[in-house]
Amino acid sequence: MTTIKNIFLICTLFLLSGCIPTYTLVTAGVNSVDTLQVTAGGGWNQAPNMPYAGDRKNTVKWTRDGLLLDRLVFVPEVSDGESLIISQQKDAALPVFKKDMLPNEIEELAQSTFVKLFGEGNAVVETSNLRPHRYGENRGVMFDVEAKVTESPDYKGLVGAFIANEKLYFMFYLAADPYYFEKHRVQAENIIKSATLTPAS
Amino acid sequence: MNLLRATLLLVALAMAGPLAYAGEDELTHKIPPGYQPDEAKDEKGLWHEFEEMERSLNKSALLVRDPDIVTYMNEIVCRVAAAYCNDFRVYIVRNSNFNASMAATGMMEIWTGLILRAGSTDEIAAVVGHEIAHYTRLHSLERFRGIKKKLAAGSFFDIAVTLATGYSTPLGQLTAIMSALAFSREQETEADILGARITANAGYDPHATYRVWDRILAEEEAAAVKREDHGMFAKTHPASEDRARYLKSWVEARYGPPDQEQVADEKLLSILNSHYMMLMEDQLATNRFGRTRELLERHSEIGVEPSLVRYFYGEMFRQRGEEGDAELAVAAYRHSIEGGKPPPEAYKQLGYLLLKSRDTAAAQDSFRTYLEVNPEASDRAMIEFYLEE
Repeated sequence: MTTIKNIFLICTLFLLSGCIPTYTLVTAGVNSVDTLQVTAGGGWNQAPNMPYAGDRKNTVKWTRDGLLLDRLVFVPEVSDGESLIISQQKDAALPVFKKDMLPNEIEELAQSTFVKLFGEGNAVVETSNLRPHRYGENRGVMFDVEAKVTESPDYKGLVGAFIANEKLYFMFYLAADPYYFEKHRVQAENIIKSATLTPAS
Repeated sequence: MNLLRATLLLVALAMAGPLAYAGEDELTHKIPPGYQPDEAKDEKGLWHEFEEMERSLNKSALLVRDPDIVTYMNEIVCRVAAAYCNDFRVYIVRNSNFNASMAATGMMEIWTGLILRAGSTDEIAAVVGHEIAHYTRLHSLERFRGIKKKLAAGSFFDIAVTLATGYSTPLGQLTAIMSALAFSREQETEADILGARITANAGYDPHATYRVWDRILAEEEAAAVKREDHGMFAKTHPASEDRARYLKSWVEARYGPPDQEQVADEKLLSILNSHYMMLMEDQLATNRFGRTRELLERHSEIGVEPSLVRYFYGEMFRQRGEEGDAELAVAAYRHSIEGGKPPPEAYKQLGYLLLKSRDTAAAQDSFRTYLEVNPEASDRAMIEFYLEE
């Protein structure tokens, strides 16, 4: 019932606000994404933040062919004890970030978060190829994701993450497979790899 | 998904899960083996929709196609179904929750969470018997017809709302569906009792019918995060406590008390041992550690390979991360390794924990062993990074 309640809530919100999500074009070059800086090629569009769909306040989502087909998501500044997504359900049992997490634990945090994102029981998510990557001055990781989802195409993705000042900076590219994942994989990977903390002014 | 499809899905969901009680002696199968729908339009239509759902299910990436599991399940279904054996197609779906469902056409869906929770093949057979009883009592059709009637009333409500407010909503129709489903507990009771009878007739232990519910209750009791809303299942099914109680009473009255405590059979153990990594990793990803711990205790009791169970104790403690859990996890991984059949990941996770406790040399030893026993490890680059530090 909670799902149905949420759908009604979303519909009501749209009706009341007359709100139509608006997208803005991402300019090619260096972009500030909250406290992150990334270098993007052209063709990406920034989607509106949707808290009712699980977005944290400062989550930023980019897409090229639409969010259902491909999405590049930045989840900056996740503090100790916080989850990567938001749920209205008190029994969601979302996994949370802990400031002393090691790479294997960040990988598990991502896996369980994706399971919750697709709907517990609706998806099997597997991660692989955990590898080190340096984001500016910060040591971090990258790994691959594959999701099999009920009544949906499969998804493939890449995750990049690092911890700085006891906060997690988490980025992922997730796209329908086949076709869309490969279509934007290189560009998305380059953007994730380019992420650094915005220098303090 | 159109409304009709949504209705059918809800009907299938409502048929999900085992067991409850009525005038048991009158409970008989309503259809013969090999049943085909008559020419009545609605039943034919219902079958067409379920057939379409089955085609879609057949293509699902979540379908388990492993021949061991498929054969094991088909054997149980055929034995319980007896003369109805050829009426059923069994689909095992990778989902760590507890569920099974039956469509009017004989499409039976069983989630892997049932295998993970069963204490014996008899318990799986009990769930299967319940689902078969739904099929032979034509419960899907009855439910479908009930929903259709209520939908008609709901549609009038929706039209009135649209005329009055200018906004079109499916509120009346959705309410009608929910209301219709809420009246299905009688069907559940019928399926419980008839299911228990056919399960016993097939030579399975009828006491397994209530043990299944005892296990569900124990798991709920152990849950760190209680289910806030049991959703459709709670609206359409009797409470687990009630089912366990009336089934126990009915089974003991008819078949006498259980001879002995149930012991897991070799076939179930073989399935669990062969597929434990997949089944438990799916469970762990739900982040529900109280439930996972309850399952591990059960698996330990029924004799699942100790090295595997201990490894997942380690995983559960490590991922839960409460005070003292790291030490418990280290002990569990070491225990798994001592057992002689640890998964390679036991060495890796032990290595990471040792790294956290700043025992770098021991961590590196463990990482080296991990790469030795798992040379194809996809995270080799990460492990080598720590070995080179």
